Amino acid sequence: MADAELDFQTGDAGASSTFPMQCSALRKNGFVLLKGRPCKIVEMSTSKTGKHGHAKVHLVGIDIFSGKKYEDICPSTHNMDVPNIRRNDYQLIGIQDGYLSLLQDSGEVREDLRVPEGDLGKEITSKYELCWSFCYLKKFELWQQSDAPHFIQQSIVTHRSCG
Amino acid sequence: MMAAVGAPEVITQLESAAKVLMAPPSMVSTEQRQHAEHIFLSFRKSKSPFAICKHILETSKVDYVLFQAATAIMEAVVREWILLEKTSIESLRTFLLTYVLQRPNLQKYVREQILLAVAVIVKRGSLDKSINCKSIFHEVGQLISSGNPTVQTLACSILTALLSEFSSSSKTSSIGLSMEFHGSCKRLFQEEDLRQIFVLTMEVLQEFSRRENLNAQMSSVFQRYLALANQVLSWNFLPPNLGRHYIAMFESAQNVTLKPTESWREALLDTRVMDLFFTVHRKIREDSDMAQDSLQCLAQLASMHGPIFPDESAQVSYLAHLVEGLLSMINGIEIEDSEAVGIANIISNLITMFPRSILTALPSDLFTSFINCLTLLTCSFGRSAALEEVLDKDDMVYMEAYDKLLESWLTLVQDEEHFPRGCFVQPAVQVFNSYIQCHLAAPDGTRNLSVSGIATHDEEEINELQEDDRELFSDQLSSVGMLGRVAADHCIPLLTSLLEDRVTRLHGQLQRTQQQLMASSDPGSVDRKVLDDLYEDIHWLILVSGYLLADDPQGETPLIPSEVMEFSIKHSTEVDINTTLQILGSPGEKASSIPGCNRTDSVIRLLSAVLRTSEVESRATRASLTQLLSPQMGKDIVWFLRRWAKTYLLMDEKLYEQISIPLSTAFGPDTEGAQWIVGYLLEKVINNLSVWSSEPDLANDTVELLVTLVEKRERANIVVQCENWWNLAKQFASRSPPLHLLSRSVQRTLMKALVLGGFAHMDLDAKQQYWAEVLHPLQQRFLNLINQENFAQISQEEAVKQEIVATLEALCGIAEATQIDNVASLFSFLMDFLSSCIGLMEVYSNTPETINLIIEVFVEVAHKQICYLGETKSMKLYEACLTLLQVYSKNNLGRKRSDATAEEDQYQDLLLIMELLTNLLSKEFIDFSDTDEVFRGQEQGTPASSRTVSAADVVLYGVNIVLPLMSQDLLKFPSLCNQYYKLITFICEIFPEKIPQLPEDLFKSLMFSLELGMTSMSSEISQLCLEALSPLAEQCAKNQEKDTPLFIATRHFLKLVFDMLVLQKHNTEMTVAAGEALYTLVCLHQAEYSELVESLLSSQRDAVIYQRLADAFNKLTASSTPPAMDRKQKVAFLKSLEEFVANVGGLLCVK
Repeated sequence: MADAELDFQTGDAGASSTFPMQCSALRKNGFVLLKGRPCKIVEMSTSKTGKHGHAKVHLVGIDIFSGKKYEDICPSTHNMDVPNIRRNDYQLIGIQDGYLSLLQDSGEVREDLRVPEGDLGKEITSKYELCWSFCYLKKFELWQQSDAPHFIQQSIVTHRSCG
Repeated sequence: MMAAVGAPEVITQLESAAKVLMAPPSMVSTEQRQHAEHIFLSFRKSKSPFAICKHILETSKVDYVLFQAATAIMEAVVREWILLEKTSIESLRTFLLTYVLQRPNLQKYVREQILLAVAVIVKRGSLDKSINCKSIFHEVGQLISSGNPTVQTLACSILTALLSEFSSSSKTSSIGLSMEFHGSCKRLFQEEDLRQIFVLTMEVLQEFSRRENLNAQMSSVFQRYLALANQVLSWNFLPPNLGRHYIAMFESAQNVTLKPTESWREALLDTRVMDLFFTVHRKIREDSDMAQDSLQCLAQLASMHGPIFPDESAQVSYLAHLVEGLLSMINGIEIEDSEAVGIANIISNLITMFPRSILTALPSDLFTSFINCLTLLTCSFGRSAALEEVLDKDDMVYMEAYDKLLESWLTLVQDEEHFPRGCFVQPAVQVFNSYIQCHLAAPDGTRNLSVSGIATHDEEEINELQEDDRELFSDQLSSVGMLGRVAADHCIPLLTSLLEDRVTRLHGQLQRTQQQLMASSDPGSVDRKVLDDLYEDIHWLILVSGYLLADDPQGETPLIPSEVMEFSIKHSTEVDINTTLQILGSPGEKASSIPGCNRTDSVIRLLSAVLRTSEVESRATRASLTQLLSPQMGKDIVWFLRRWAKTYLLMDEKLYEQISIPLSTAFGPDTEGAQWIVGYLLEKVINNLSVWSSEPDLANDTVELLVTLVEKRERANIVVQCENWWNLAKQFASRSPPLHLLSRSVQRTLMKALVLGGFAHMDLDAKQQYWAEVLHPLQQRFLNLINQENFAQISQEEAVKQEIVATLEALCGIAEATQIDNVASLFSFLMDFLSSCIGLMEVYSNTPETINLIIEVFVEVAHKQICYLGETKSMKLYEACLTLLQVYSKNNLGRKRSDATAEEDQYQDLLLIMELLTNLLSKEFIDFSDTDEVFRGQEQGTPASSRTVSAADVVLYGVNIVLPLMSQDLLKFPSLCNQYYKLITFICEIFPEKIPQLPEDLFKSLMFSLELGMTSMSSEISQLCLEALSPLAEQCAKNQEKDTPLFIATRHFLKLVFDMLVLQKHNTEMTVAAGEALYTLVCLHQAEYSELVESLLSSQRDAVIYQRLADAFNKLTASSTPPAMDRKQKVAFLKSLEEFVANVGGLLCVK
């Protein structure tokens, strides 16, 4: 987990990592920066103070890296920062010393990502071992912020030939 | 189990089980609890438990065990009715009644349960000639005359239990008999026994109402009988001929009105009955609980109608007596809070239920007194309701009563022509004035004033779930608007002057605030109180004006209300049209500053007052005072303008018998006025969209106003002549601020409006130019983007994603704009996109929100267009949808996602896909296409090829793709589950012949789904699945092929349905669907059916039961041997089945 935070902090300085958006134009299932963390919006509602008040937006988001919940409330005219989220597919070609070897579309191999903790990691490892014996490649997805990759991976796509 | 052990052991076992059940949760484990529950369940199922139950009742001291023993008796009597000696049933009933009588100190719930058992026995026996249960009324009569309050209470409990049992409502115990049985019992009961209960009750009430002082105990007896009287008068009298299906529907009706049969004349037309209830009410009105019952009794009497009245004069004198009684009751008292709703109910019932001819036949001074009383009462309830709102009371009794009375007014004035001319004008003025007064701030009104006259002002948090006042109070506003029309002479000018005054004040206040802001530059220093008060006044004035001037009929062309039209015509001679137009055309100026402003048309003047409000708002936004404005008022303004425009703008003179010259001069077709207004409204819309993008509701109302302006061709023709419209189109196409700040749904609707406008009348060049401005940029931007070489790499960049999302939203908007006369061009345009969208499915397979939107585009196109498409076009769409599904399936099969919202994302995808398939399937029953009629001239002369692909092929293929993704977990989402089963039932019903041709895997999962739906889903789903079975079985019979997978599957279903009908307790509503399925399955598999019956019979050890069952099974199929698939035999079978279930359904459940 600590590595992820580090990665996030040192994201590619060249590309703008966020862009502004009027609060009212955000929507559920979209992304937003809450308390400086990139979050997926899981709840969004509006309210107003008094019948003739102006709209305020109440946001609940889940940090896409840590899974922690963040909330915020702000006038709907305000601009919020929206993070640039990029998701990449990688093919898994090996596991060594708890690190993944991942083949990128460009043909380069990344080896700086650890096998995730918990069930997900176990699942990747076991499926990988199972399939490896059949010489199939496993594929799974990574989320990436700007060009700084993260091992927090949201989904596994099992190669269909492996079942 | 019970037979094996002696009575004392059973009692010990039950008592210790009861102890476990009654223990606090921390003391016993879940298993212990379940075990204890199981003991009682199996005890209640044991065979002939009568002796042991009697024994328990006589010896056990544990209340809960007594309760269970009573329940066991009740269930066993019904179950074994046919096997029992009639004398033993009678002695059982006597035993139970005596038991209760001798034990006055029984726990209430035990006593009620025993009486329930008695009532069930009486009911089950009422249709059985061999047993006489009538003596119970005689016995109860004796109990009542005993004069002993305890005994009288008991008698009342017996009667109440009988009433609940026979009412065949939700209170009735389910005893596994058909609704027909319940209906017959009920009819018999309501003719005699119910009336006898009523007579007994009236005697008791008479007795009590005479007594001077009632002690607490007597008063409680009094209350019980009053409640009983209410129950009798609320009886839902079953008409003589009502089919089985209707009975179920009929019994679920709420708010029953009193419609007794003829035989009740003597009992109910006697004026002493009504007098008694008035007397009773006077006596107990301070007791709020009892008062509710006595007023409800009177309300029921006020709703009386039907064959009980021999003729009109009887009805008139009944009503006259009622109204007299009511007036003398109300006039003599100060109404208690707890009486308000009851009194309003009486009035509303009598106004709703009595025919107008009866109301007008009342003596005229009585009628006048009644209307005056109603007027005063309405105003007074309205004021009390306003007080309730200030105090923020939880229980808004006056509001409820006020709603009722306003509704009654609406009923009255809608039928105004039946009443003496003008008789409602003065009352309408009073009610209208008091409504306005309650909603305006002091000094003109009393809003937010508490009793002491102090104004309160609080700023509560309002969330989006709270409805807008225009919806929340729509009933009240409709009534008040209607009354305003009745008294148009007073009300329209009143609204105008109030609104003009508020607008002038608002203007001044905003200017002062602006100066203040410039001086201090601290926005916090602004006191919003004055502004908010003005906004709230304007809010209500606009709402009432909107409801007064126009209706909002869904889907029909709204007409100018005849009262408003007449009012305008009546005054048209005094009106100076030029001044009127001048007032209308100068919303920036004070109306009163225009010379001759007193000689204007009032209807137009009211509209122009709203336009003045709108103008003040717009100017404030230009002066950067948006923060001070009220978005609520903004909503009110565009809401009003939309409602108004639908009715008045370019009105069709052919629709009216007479027309007001001022109105037609100002708003008619080909008038400068209409053109000016369209321009003004358009400007308003554009201003709002740029200023209010942060207020979702207001932006939405605004864009809906725009849709209203262009959805009718006549209005659209004027709109497209405005330069502003073209600017709007260009601005939107360029996707630049401020329009791109709008929420996606608003942008979608904006696109819809822009497309609709494109079909207005324009010359060819203009039209081409228009589309070049609106649609081509969309296409161009999209193509440029996706055809970039590096699109795959840049596709995840936020700017690119936003562009894609905006395009997809626009496509949905375009599809929404489909009408029969534009479908040809829109379809061709959209088709080009659809194939590109499929490509996007690949690119964005990791972006669920985009995938979701892509599917939505397909759903919208199919939803709006498929019904107009001819064969060739349909094929194109089918193919596109198929490819979409294939790609979706490929990308999702075997994929696992671990994030929290993954399941919801997939749920939404699948729901949309089901919707898409259902939309495609709808082509089979809603088809407006006329062999590509609408496309004629476009088609390249290729007649439909020999391919005969139906929607079913496509849909089945789609189901094939979706099915593997439908997990049991996903079926737990109710809406998804419903949509899914609706779809597969549709397929089985419409295309049974396609089912045997399905690939094996798909066929298997389809059958598995049906089984799952039948056995482990809600009863609604289960019914859907049962309905799917008959066509499948018929299909098999037609094919005559044995050993096909479908044939084998139906054999399996035969067993399932058989078990369901015969062995399991099932919902009686399902008997028909299950019966039909069973019959067709039996026809198909006669041998297997016989086997099932044989094996069931052979498992019976009891000879009596065996015989009874065997007979029942013989009878069941007797009328349809050999079973054949024709309708007549099927109907006969269904009839026998009902009897079968009634006779032996319960028997087989015994273990």
